[in-house]
Amino acid sequence: MKKLYSNKLHILIFLLPALLLFCGVLIAPIGASAYFSFFDWSGFGAKTFIGFSNYKELFTSNAIGFLKALRNSLLLALLSVFLQLPLALALALTLGKKIKGERTFLSVYFMPVLISTVVIGQLWLKIYNPDYGILNVFLRSIGREDWAQIWLGNKKTALGAVFVPTLWQYVGYHMLLLYAGVKSVPQELREAAMLDGATDGQVNRYIVLPYIKPIIRISVIFAVTGSLKSFDLIYVLTNGGPLHATEVPSTLMINMLFLRNRYGMGSTIAVMLIILCFGFALLISAIFKEED
Amino acid sequence: MRNISKGRQIVIYIGLILWMLVNLFPVYWMFTFSLKSNPEIFGENIIGLPREWLWSNYSSALNTGKMGVYFLNSAIVAIATILITLVVALMATFALTRLIWKQRKTLNKFFMLGLTIPIHASIVPVYVTLSRLHLLNTYWALIIPYSAFSLSMAILVCTGFMNEIPRELDESACIDGCSVWGIFLRIIVPLMKPAVATVGIYTFLQCWNELMFANVFISKSSLRTLPVGVQALSGQYTTEWGPIGAALVLATFPTLFIYIFLSKKIQDSFVAGAVKG
Amino acid sequence: MKKIFALVLALCMVFALAACGQQAAPAPAAEAPAAEAPAAEAPAAEAPAGEQTVLKLWCIATESDANRPGYEKAIAEFEAAHPDIKIEWEAFENESYKTKIKAAMMGGDTEDLPDIFFTWSGAFLGDFANAGTVYCLDEAYKPFADQLPEVMLSNSTYGGKHYAVPLTYNIVTLFANMDLLGQVGWDHVPETYEDLCACCDALVAEGIIPFGCAGKETWCVTEYLEPIMEKTIGYEALNAIFQGQATWNDPDIATAVSTFQDMINKGYFDPAGMALGNDEVKANFLAGKTAFYQNGSWNTGEVNNADFNAAVALFPVMNADRATYSQVIGGPSDSLAVCASSKHPELAAQAAFELGRGICHYCYLAGAGLPAWTPDYDTSDVLPLVAAVADIVAASDGMVLFGDTAMSADPANTYLSYVAQVYGCEIDGEGFVAGLTKDLG
Repeated sequence: MKKLYSNKLHILIFLLPALLLFCGVLIAPIGASAYFSFFDWSGFGAKTFIGFSNYKELFTSNAIGFLKALRNSLLLALLSVFLQLPLALALALTLGKKIKGERTFLSVYFMPVLISTVVIGQLWLKIYNPDYGILNVFLRSIGREDWAQIWLGNKKTALGAVFVPTLWQYVGYHMLLLYAGVKSVPQELREAAMLDGATDGQVNRYIVLPYIKPIIRISVIFAVTGSLKSFDLIYVLTNGGPLHATEVPSTLMINMLFLRNRYGMGSTIAVMLIILCFGFALLISAIFKEED
Repeated sequence: MRNISKGRQIVIYIGLILWMLVNLFPVYWMFTFSLKSNPEIFGENIIGLPREWLWSNYSSALNTGKMGVYFLNSAIVAIATILITLVVALMATFALTRLIWKQRKTLNKFFMLGLTIPIHASIVPVYVTLSRLHLLNTYWALIIPYSAFSLSMAILVCTGFMNEIPRELDESACIDGCSVWGIFLRIIVPLMKPAVATVGIYTFLQCWNELMFANVFISKSSLRTLPVGVQALSGQYTTEWGPIGAALVLATFPTLFIYIFLSKKIQDSFVAGAVKG
Repeated sequence: MKKIFALVLALCMVFALAACGQQAAPAPAAEAPAAEAPAAEAPAAEAPAGEQTVLKLWCIATESDANRPGYEKAIAEFEAAHPDIKIEWEAFENESYKTKIKAAMMGGDTEDLPDIFFTWSGAFLGDFANAGTVYCLDEAYKPFADQLPEVMLSNSTYGGKHYAVPLTYNIVTLFANMDLLGQVGWDHVPETYEDLCACCDALVAEGIIPFGCAGKETWCVTEYLEPIMEKTIGYEALNAIFQGQATWNDPDIATAVSTFQDMINKGYFDPAGMALGNDEVKANFLAGKTAFYQNGSWNTGEVNNADFNAAVALFPVMNADRATYSQVIGGPSDSLAVCASSKHPELAAQAAFELGRGICHYCYLAGAGLPAWTPDYDTSDVLPLVAAVADIVAASDGMVLFGDTAMSADPANTYLSYVAQVYGCEIDGEGFVAGLTKDLG
């Protein structure tokens, strides 16, 4: 058995397709991006080697505003971990207790994940519309005209207004992940605790949560890296505006790559994003290990 | 549910139903949007039922855009991507969890790197590579990158499932004279069936609504996928929004139906394969 | 570990080579424009009798685009006249087309590029021209010189060479809903700034919003700001600034910005516009919710068919010492260009001109723009409002190309971000001038 499973040739053959795909499509482009990040290059024509100048400019230039974009996406990550995940967890715990209509709820809650971001974006544009949007119409109808806002056009409200749909759309995604974990908790464990007189909350706190910790870890990693990479919905809703209030690193990157013809700088942002995502993933894993 | 009071139960149900309405609203909105006229869409009647049910929006969406072709293309790409992702991920996971070699943990981490890479960063290098291989304007131009970007998640999910399979099965198969391939194909793969749904849905989510790659890598309109096709319906000087809504419904509802139809299976497989870290 | 690492590294190298190898690819293409000098041989000679040459064309005339019928007719006409040539054409959505064409130009195999492609003149095409990825059209232009005035090529001329065939051209026009203006006692569009303010004040008093402007798309803000700047400092000065021949440091620019912000502060602009896209703002105007809409003349056909009496005019003069009423913002921008990598560049160049002429013809008749080519057909069917715009252009005595088209990509976006700050009243006129002088010189 051991001999059979240690055959180097077999190991290579089993890994080769994955390595080919992975290196060819994911790793090589990172290499290319890392290489281009040292150049001042428009994407066509001649390029000039400028060392770390792009990185320096990225962190010092107010015109680019990378730090602000990064702050926005970190804020989104925080909200995602402390609002979106708890909500998803609460739903998963509730649905995991053999409640009536469990399946229906589960299916419906997952639907927004399946709907194209373009549709979700258009819907929320209509919700936020200053004149006839559902939100303002509602505020006016309850006599709070003064609360009505140009939600996506006001620098103070735009970021929040963009975050709400972003967080909402993926509650179902995390819920399904966590629900799967809750369901996999052995029934005997629960029953034993119940016999000892534990309340529902206590069962969740002392039995279920510790049991599904690995899944919570994965969820947190997805939530944080997903927030750092977030692009689609923000692109549809505000494209980083008004006045860069909702800019995130990905919108900046697309801007540099294809609008401003600054391919070198766009690549620099890509490299920074990958480093940050990977760094956070390691950090989160370390925090969860620490707790054990 | 034994020690929950009636009152609390009602509160829980009200909460669950409210949240359900919030999540059903986009579906309702999209459907009514697809049957409305321009003035209704732009302010006169945003959330109500259409005053006049304009089924003609559907015929114009079907006639002007080739929604049928786009749908077929999306389905071909999605199915091929799911199949390739599954095969490649199963093989890699087998090597990563079963076969014995030193650095398998390191390589596993290396594959997890894929979860952190933003898809948009790699458009140009991937374009160039595909172009050199003469794969642009074929289904492969989408299947290959989509599979690669789904791979990390698929390996993560498959690792959870495969670790659950008792190693004694391998041992006895080995004693019976099975080769590595025999064990993989006859013992492991059949037991990985529940993983198919989980990997399938994650992969599907990754590729069904993807726009950037599909736009850049495909130029022939006969090979376009749904998101690009729907987008191409709206032009610089678009006047009619109803047909675009109809196209969106045609693009989204089939997946919703398939999901509802298969949801029990999908949910069960999620539970069976609850990621074990 | 070492072995795995070596394997991974080797795989990456293979792909990196494939990916970076592209850098060599544009080089031969770059030489093409220089080598094409002795062109001008009969294009027909390239296609042996009985064999069809296929030319690929990329454009943005999607199914629902107002230009679509124009393209269909022009291509059908061209293919009928040249049975030996087949035009394989594909239309893409406007915004994603920009990403697509740039990615395609950045590298990859030349066979994945089209022969002829839609482009915006000015800096968008200029970046391609400077990189040598588009084919020079000087030779092909000669036979068409009497139908297409050379001045129409000026926005796509780089280093004295022509690189694109203009289709239609557009100017910024002030559309007015005369029914709403009539409610406050105006039977014509105000022609001086004082009158415009009086008219707007009257509209505001009636509860009618005078202007709508889409803050989500900054180019829509420039459609307001640029005419005001032009009418304050004159077209020559503004042109010099946009072309980079003069600095932004002109006190009258600050005055123009203040004028614009005055209008905003006086409530002439729909405050909701900040969060809206152009489609929504236009829909508001067409539904009679705002009295004016200042935007490109490509909207003329649509405004002409609205349910109210519409009129078209220009923004009034702010400073009569430097500007006149008939100076306009605009010019030919929508164009066709030929890829340097095309296998049949001469043929494609000739086709680009013939197609451009046809598209121009049919799009003008449909009211989707003004003709860059001199019409040699019956124009009596042209929509009345389109004819009115044509009259404005005929009477114009100075034209400045849209600022974000004239400037190259990076400065254009810097400029746009300052324009957005003006509309959001984040900076005043002085701040605008100081910032742009510092960043762009």
